[in-house]
Amino acid sequence: MAAGNGPDHELRVYSDITQLIASPLNPTPLVRVNRLNTNEGLALYLKLERYNPFGSVKDRIAYEMLKGMDTEGKTVVEPSSGNTGIALACVANALGILVEIAVPDRIPEEKKTILKLLGAKLMEADDALCPLFPSEGARGLVNGIIKSPATKDKYVSPNQYENELNVKAHYQTTGPEIWKQTSGKINFFFAGLGTCGTISGIGRYLKEQNPAVRIIGVEPASPEHHLPGMKRITGLDEEYIPKILDRSVIDDTIQIGDKDAYQTAIDLARKEGIPVGPTTGAILYAALNYAKADKGIAVVVSPDDAFKYTSFYKGIVDADLAAERQFGLGDGI
Amino acid sequence: MNDEIKTVECDLCGFVCPLSKMKAAEAVDALSTGETLNIVLGDTESLKSVAQELKDKGIKPSFKQEGENRFILTIAK
Repeated sequence: MAAGNGPDHELRVYSDITQLIASPLNPTPLVRVNRLNTNEGLALYLKLERYNPFGSVKDRIAYEMLKGMDTEGKTVVEPSSGNTGIALACVANALGILVEIAVPDRIPEEKKTILKLLGAKLMEADDALCPLFPSEGARGLVNGIIKSPATKDKYVSPNQYENELNVKAHYQTTGPEIWKQTSGKINFFFAGLGTCGTISGIGRYLKEQNPAVRIIGVEPASPEHHLPGMKRITGLDEEYIPKILDRSVIDDTIQIGDKDAYQTAIDLARKEGIPVGPTTGAILYAALNYAKADKGIAVVVSPDDAFKYTSFYKGIVDADLAAERQFGLGDGI
Repeated sequence: MNDEIKTVECDLCGFVCPLSKMKAAEAVDALSTGETLNIVLGDTESLKSVAQELKDKGIKPSFKQEGENRFILTIAK
């Protein structure tokens, strides 16, 4: 058995759970999409961030943001659509820090249950709660906690929307991993827009290695959507755009609707055996249609897996089953 | 029979919006029949959002200002 405090990635022996968070020495996998991709000239890969220890791309930033934060005598509070909250709660528990998470009321019940399981205090916020953050009540609530004289000394917020460590985590880990895993031959990179830390950090790193790499951002087609973690940036007033967004690294932005996102995620599960969250479906749909005639290597960030969204998928797959029965299919048993 | 009107004071001067609005809503919901509630607010943003919240609930409060940054909304149930 490996000794000492450092991680042993060869034997996979670790002195604490945070050492499993992905890094260039312990990257999340790139897995090729075969049957959904009809362009033979393009090798399309998913960067499966679900293989981080707490299940999503947000594990990287949670650790980066918390490890240097002065939390002495304070509770960490953060708005989150779930993944950042879960990652923060896990890292905070490992480091012995108290955490409270403000969540929008439209996130799946599975994520709320996991947060409660982790012992995080959960504050559900209606989207219309705060006029300062239209349609982002959870952000408004945390802003209120941090600025109220009665509470500000008891709380500290990583603020993933403005925290450069969010970008740094991806610049120092995810970007180099992708560059190395593709032997520097990547041509296209696709990521969702939310806090914009992922696309800003990875995009910056890849552009520095090869300015010809095309960086494509994917956002919901409408501000009202069911793609947790994604945010429509186009059309937002400047004050509501995440401060950490680095527009200079983004070549194109594509809008995707819920229906295409969910159907692509379901197709990926059924045709490739890769169960992912709906945001992966959105980003993959964009990639499959963007580079139809191009050649080379494309990488799509897959933020998380399907298991936290079963209640979101249930209506769609149940409807599929009902349609099959109506036409006499799927009842072979 | 006790006809004395019970007045409840909810001092939210230490809270900015939307905490002030949330706590004011909780206080209103907890108000019993025959009670009067004084909601004390410490900034104009909170005043606006709490006033709007009360309006949405169909409640018309009376208003008093004490000094530059102390606003009192009073409602009776």
